[in-house]
Amino acid sequence: MIIFLQATAEGLALGAVYSLVAIGFVLIYKAMDVLSFAQPALAVVGAAFISALAVDRGIPFWIAFIIGVLLTAILSLVIERTFLRPMVGEPVFSVAILTIGIDILLRTVLDNWIGLNPRYLGDPFPSIGNFGSVNIGGVVLKYLEISAFFTAVIVIILLSIFFKKSKYGVAMRATSYDQEAALAQGIDVGKIFALVWFIAGLLASFAGFFITGGFNTLTQLSFISALRALPAVVIGGLDSIPGAVVGSLIIGLTQGYVAYYQINLESLVGFSLGSGFSFVAPYLIMFIILLIKPDGLFGTEEVERV
Amino acid sequence: MRGRPNLYTDYRKETAIFSNLTQKFWFVLLVVFAFSLVLVASDYWILLLTTSFLIAVAAWGLNIVSGFAGQISLAHGVFVGVGTYTAAVLGGVSSSYVIGYELDMIIWLPLSGVMAGLLGLIIAPISVRLKGLNLGLVTLALVFIASHLFSNMKFITGGAGFGRKSAELVLLGFDFDNGLSVGGFILEKNQLIYLLALTICIFAGIGVKNLTRSKTGRAYSAIRDGDIAAEAIGINLFKFKSSAFALSSFYAGITGALMFSVSGGVEPGVFNLLYSITFIAIVIIGGGGTVLGPLFGALFFSLLPGAIQTLLHTFELAGQELSLSLGQIERIIFGLFIIFFIILEPRGLWGVWFRLRNYFKAWPFSY
Repeated sequence: MIIFLQATAEGLALGAVYSLVAIGFVLIYKAMDVLSFAQPALAVVGAAFISALAVDRGIPFWIAFIIGVLLTAILSLVIERTFLRPMVGEPVFSVAILTIGIDILLRTVLDNWIGLNPRYLGDPFPSIGNFGSVNIGGVVLKYLEISAFFTAVIVIILLSIFFKKSKYGVAMRATSYDQEAALAQGIDVGKIFALVWFIAGLLASFAGFFITGGFNTLTQLSFISALRALPAVVIGGLDSIPGAVVGSLIIGLTQGYVAYYQINLESLVGFSLGSGFSFVAPYLIMFIILLIKPDGLFGTEEVERV
Repeated sequence: MRGRPNLYTDYRKETAIFSNLTQKFWFVLLVVFAFSLVLVASDYWILLLTTSFLIAVAAWGLNIVSGFAGQISLAHGVFVGVGTYTAAVLGGVSSSYVIGYELDMIIWLPLSGVMAGLLGLIIAPISVRLKGLNLGLVTLALVFIASHLFSNMKFITGGAGFGRKSAELVLLGFDFDNGLSVGGFILEKNQLIYLLALTICIFAGIGVKNLTRSKTGRAYSAIRDGDIAAEAIGINLFKFKSSAFALSSFYAGITGALMFSVSGGVEPGVFNLLYSITFIAIVIIGGGGTVLGPLFGALFFSLLPGAIQTLLHTFELAGQELSLSLGQIERIIFGLFIIFFIILEPRGLWGVWFRLRNYFKAWPFSY
């Protein structure tokens, strides 16, 4: 039972982190019909900015955090302006490949910067300690995992208020519904695109801070962790924000359970699943769900005409 | 009708592999040039050219399924991997931890294509169910599942971080390692592989050209342009999508079988997502849906390191301490070119070539 709770807790924390990246994916997809493969790279960019400012430059953590998050969001804005604005209305797939090109650029520069040793991200609460954890009835919860979960919850609540109440939130929803109609209503669609990428950049850098695996260190492998938000989005449906959250939790929990129960699972199926199976399980689930429901669990079904 | 190359008097001539004498002339000239390069080019360039010919074959494969038939596949690298390991098992030497049967190349080369093709056939029904981006995402999942399998099936692949030796190059009892002396001229292993790769590349290219002028090729184009419409005019989607995947994977498998024989060994970590994306990028940079495009793309991609190194030497930067390694510079340039071509020239290098050719055809007039 304790193992189960432990796996659930870790899975939820992971899922919360994925959901931050995943919401960014969905926002961009809804507004522009672009599946941005650059999102995981942006998450790592965020973490890298924070690490560079907080550790290398010695700026107090919280200031470094805010500057890092803002810088990432601005970078995301610049990417949209320079590379994606000319591509409005182009086929989804070629734009997706374009974002892969951006991803390759960001990733190469970052890999070079990160180097072979893990980069430390700085300590948000020096009095408590970074690697600290609490033990609740045998379940060990890392502070970073707890804060990841609550950050995600707060961000999601703030976002949903933003979409429901604010002028720009409503404009964003209108744009995602129909770009031309929104334009005709006097909404500056270009500004909305910029705003969407800005928010996606913010979310990505939040996620980037937590995605580093609860040890607060950034390595070249962090990209691969961040990319696991993609199966989460796909499971939930590319154009559904609740779907992205549910998908992220599914992926996070799967990863948690598989990591803890792999031996039991192996004895059940009768063959070895191999080391690191928990990292592949999300993709396996995405594979199966796509075959059953091609548009994801919550996605709107695409109607095709000749 | 001499001197009027654009005048076709029957359909057969219009769909011929070479529609006029000029094309035939240039093709023969280029082939002769490519074969004679083996005598003059340095080992380094021979190696780069060999890789580019092999990559061109795989890129043609991806072009069949994505460029002609319009089915997005992010998993092309997986099929290359299947080809590699089929070849390595059938033609490789067994050791304490990997299996190998040391068969002849005449057996393992076609079989590795066939094995990859079979996997393609298994994957193909998915493309009937899923379309566009969703299909791309499923194949993306496939990349991760396959690379997990590759790293864990230690008796075939040697396991992550270790790898295994690739297939031995023994063609009809003749070992490539021994070299071949022709009239006092000694061809070494690398040069022999170059000749083999070039030959395969030429056949593969003619195969693709033939495909475009056959019924199958036309069916692929119809599916790409609108698969519901294609179904309505009586094209069996299942059949043609399956054949496109099978054919594409066959090409990939052939490439995979030979690709790593050049370097001698292969580590399963190679077949990651970036590897598959490389092929897509090559097709896009070269020009998707064209016959020559993937060849251009492959040459561009594989000769890039050589070009960068030559440039570094010209500007005498080679000895200096650069903040980026050569591989990183390559990747940055590669990434920039992907972005550049998608935004500015979606038809890729082929489009550049097409415009240049038309410009000089009409020169000095603008059209």
